[in-house]
Amino acid sequence: MIGMKQWTLSTGTPVLLETQPIDPRSLFRGDYVRLNYSISNLKPSELTGDDEFKKHDVIYVTLKKQKKYCVPQSVTHEAPQENDLYLKGTIQYVSQHSWNQETETSDEITNLQIKYGIENYFVPEYEGLELERRDNDQVVDIRVAIDKYGRSGIKAVLVNDIIKYKETLL
Amino acid sequence: MKHAQFQKSLEKELPVWEEKGWVTKQNSESILEHVGSSESRFNLLAFGIAVLGVLLLGSGIITYFAANWAEMAKITKLILLFSAMYVSFACAGYFLKTDKSPMLGQALLVLGVIIFGANIMLIAQIYHIDEHYPNGVLFWALGGLVTAYLMKSHAVLVLTIALSVLWTSLETFGFNHIHFWYLAIWVTFLPLIYFRRWNFALHLALIALIIWSIYSFFGIDYRDQQITQIYLVQLYFVLYLTLFLIGMLCATTNQLNYFAKPLQNYGAFAALLSFYILTFPEIQRGFRYFDDHLRTQASTVWLALTFSALVLLVILAIWHRSRVTTKEKPKYLIYGQFLIAAVVLLIIFNLFLAGNYGGWMAIALNLLFFAGMIWLLFAGTHTNNRTLINLAFLFFALALITRYFDTFWSLLNRSFFFMAGGIILIIGGYFLEKQRRKLTATIASSSKQVI
Repeated sequence: MIGMKQWTLSTGTPVLLETQPIDPRSLFRGDYVRLNYSISNLKPSELTGDDEFKKHDVIYVTLKKQKKYCVPQSVTHEAPQENDLYLKGTIQYVSQHSWNQETETSDEITNLQIKYGIENYFVPEYEGLELERRDNDQVVDIRVAIDKYGRSGIKAVLVNDIIKYKETLL
Repeated sequence: MKHAQFQKSLEKELPVWEEKGWVTKQNSESILEHVGSSESRFNLLAFGIAVLGVLLLGSGIITYFAANWAEMAKITKLILLFSAMYVSFACAGYFLKTDKSPMLGQALLVLGVIIFGANIMLIAQIYHIDEHYPNGVLFWALGGLVTAYLMKSHAVLVLTIALSVLWTSLETFGFNHIHFWYLAIWVTFLPLIYFRRWNFALHLALIALIIWSIYSFFGIDYRDQQITQIYLVQLYFVLYLTLFLIGMLCATTNQLNYFAKPLQNYGAFAALLSFYILTFPEIQRGFRYFDDHLRTQASTVWLALTFSALVLLVILAIWHRSRVTTKEKPKYLIYGQFLIAAVVLLIIFNLFLAGNYGGWMAIALNLLFFAGMIWLLFAGTHTNNRTLINLAFLFFALALITRYFDTFWSLLNRSFFFMAGGIILIIGGYFLEKQRRKLTATIASSSKQVI
């Protein structure tokens, strides 16, 4: 377990992922940070790949670098080709309705809630609250290492592009 | 019997046995010397102090490093975690192998398993691993199980059983499902308990099984169109009755006699608890959450499970009958067989019951339940089993109070309800306790006479 994780962190491709707090009140719990990425909620209709999904399905999300962040391109049940950069995840929840903020109506559209295993980040004691109560102009990003099998691990936490926490072996 | 009591009675009895020529004077002295020596007894106090000592030492070390945890490099943390575990196991091995202090060895083994669990949690923290969290406890329990097998440690097996209960609690209540995988780990406790004759672990394993059964009752999906809770409790009743029968079978062989009483007592308790739940009219009517629906007959899965359990029960009953060679069967046993047959028939009938007849089923089961408790009193008295008598009184009282509440709550004026209930409880409690004491005292005096 340790070896696999360390291998992913050491050899994986580093990418930056956008983090979105869904509910700021429950974003941090104790001394660990609960992270909700923009790729944690996907709409298959907006991406290429498969259309039918159910709870607990193992899926692969292909990523492509676009400006600062990596964004999703496709979501499939089969692992993409080795050259592609992709994340392996598990579907936590499938909803058939999505709230449209513009029209303020519930649209009939499939929405997937996905877990990649990088949703927790433990911080030193008392520092969780500091991150939670950051100013509005502060942006928190997560640098993740992704290996060729789609496994991932958190490499660093950045606040306004400056590394706040970094994961090193030594 | 406690060790000191056992020693005292031996001191009294051995001179008599010497006189009768059953033991020689030399043998008698050797027996007393062995029983009196520290080797022959498990010193709970010494073991407790040793465990407390290693726990305090461990807590101190953990607290010291926790204060400096954030400043440490990942590699330092890993070296520390693994070193602590290996040092603990190495010291345990040394004390156990050299036989210098087996108690301390056992305590260090327990500490090693505790550190192993702490390591799992801390490594998940170091690498920010966000997986299915009960798995952490599962790996902890598996580590404990391997240690218990390798080191033949009763204390570690007890800790492992407790961890397995924690695992199934997290699975059942965190993810709302029946956690069948628990049974897979539960059966792995049995070979060690069987070969080592570990009494405390046996009791704990049986309690863990009952706890798992209760969890599964609450974990089952009650929104199902079938009233699955009823079928599950019926299945429990048959299976725990089977466990009771296995206990009776164990009693017929010298090799397994050791397990007979615990299996019978826990089997009887869980079977009676299941039967007690079946007497609730509300449960028999079904659809507590969907009043507009009528109950339907059981699905094929429940039919298959219940009938398989019944077949197993019958096979064991026949096997037991063939092993017991009593020419004249006591009357109470014949009545007991009729009672069980009646309950089994009702259980089968209940599987096919559809519509609004749950109330009638509840009445029939209540009548059989009270008859069953009276029968259990006779059986307990006849077999000199105080546990059975206590169980019969407990469930008799419990069912009486429950029926009073669910029958008269809506019929009587509230003040009369409480006044009548109070009077019944005072008089009934006095009468039941008096009868219970009388019966258990009779058993105690008759068993003394036998000795």
